[in-house]
Amino acid sequence: MDNRLNTKHIVACHLCDALYDKPHLKQGQTAKCNRCGSTLVERKVDSINRSFYWSIAGIILLAPGILLPIIGVTLAKQYHHASLLDCVVVLIERGFFMIATLLFLFAIAVPVVRLFGAFYISFSFKYNRLKPSMLNFFRAYHHLDNWAMLNVFMLGIVVSMYKLLDDTELTINLGLFSFTLFLITSTMASTTLDQDYIWDKLEREFIDDDS
Amino acid sequence: MSSLMTTAKQNGLGLCPKCHKVNKIESEPQQCSRCHGWFYPRKRNSIQYTLAWNIAALLSFIPANLYPIMIIYSLGIGDESTILSGIGQFVDQGLYPIAVIIFTASIIVPLVKIAGLFLLVYKVQTGVRLKPDKHSKLYHVLEFLGPWSMLDVFVVALLVAVVELGIITSVAAGPAINYFTLTVIFTMIAANSFDPRLLWDKKEINDDMFKGKQ
Repeated sequence: MDNRLNTKHIVACHLCDALYDKPHLKQGQTAKCNRCGSTLVERKVDSINRSFYWSIAGIILLAPGILLPIIGVTLAKQYHHASLLDCVVVLIERGFFMIATLLFLFAIAVPVVRLFGAFYISFSFKYNRLKPSMLNFFRAYHHLDNWAMLNVFMLGIVVSMYKLLDDTELTINLGLFSFTLFLITSTMASTTLDQDYIWDKLEREFIDDDS
Repeated sequence: MSSLMTTAKQNGLGLCPKCHKVNKIESEPQQCSRCHGWFYPRKRNSIQYTLAWNIAALLSFIPANLYPIMIIYSLGIGDESTILSGIGQFVDQGLYPIAVIIFTASIIVPLVKIAGLFLLVYKVQTGVRLKPDKHSKLYHVLEFLGPWSMLDVFVVALLVAVVELGIITSVAAGPAINYFTLTVIFTMIAANSFDPRLLWDKKEINDDMFKGKQ
């Protein structure tokens, strides 16, 4: 049993703690836990390149997605429209600070930070500019995992449209289109990122002395 | 099957929750050799934290449903609506799919999350008829459901911003929206603080005891 205690060659399931020898996977393969069926290790296909290009696309779409008006209404001959950022500004003006803060955090700040994080990580890996600070950076990146709610906001837009449909004239703006694309690119940028590969590589690069 | 399997804990090892590196546990908390983060082999006081956040979520769910979530002003007259009455309006208009979506997101999802976590905590505590594979899946579902109940909050936020036409018609958010957001956040933290590995630990202890008796 002692030879298995070399921690470099074993993995443990994060849901049930079962120990396994580290599997050697080809790109696109996944190892599942025998006991609880959750994913143990994953080797994503061409992870760094894919994440790099998705995050570039996301950064390009960032400004139109947030700033362009998403939906507009015409009511009593008055036209009014709002973008994602407008929502935050209007909520602050009307004194709903808590909702404004949370909307800003969950729908703007966290997705944007995650997008730039994915870009920075994939950029450093693609052009081999790894620094020891990447260890801390990538660990911090994981803290944001659960808190990006762009997809929920998207469903919120659809529901709002139905709410406005009955007594107003609704116009869908270009912002909705770019927001949808922004949602897709930012999700793809973080899901294509291969965590295990990145941690392995960082470990080989900076922490080789302990064995 | 389970006798062949060993866990990290049995071998004096622990998995770093952030970088998924297996570490030898020499102290508690242990510093991860790869990402230098501090962690415990099992989330600390997991059951207590889950229970506490869960109760907080349940408590804030009550005012979230009693107070109005949205106030529609038309010609200066305010019309308050709670989550349930909002759903009722959709049903009256015959928009059943939307009514179902909102009802699922803002009533069923939070209640399922809270009830599910209470069930998991109860199961870990008693260990009676524990099926860790089923319960792990339940935990997975609860974790996935996490942010979806923010739906109604986002809808109100959008409506407040879009329907802003001076005195003729405008929409304001009601006090329930704050409580509702708190419910969502509390349930997310509660799910986060639960450690699914406890289910398997308890199962093993039970199995060993059962073998000992035979």
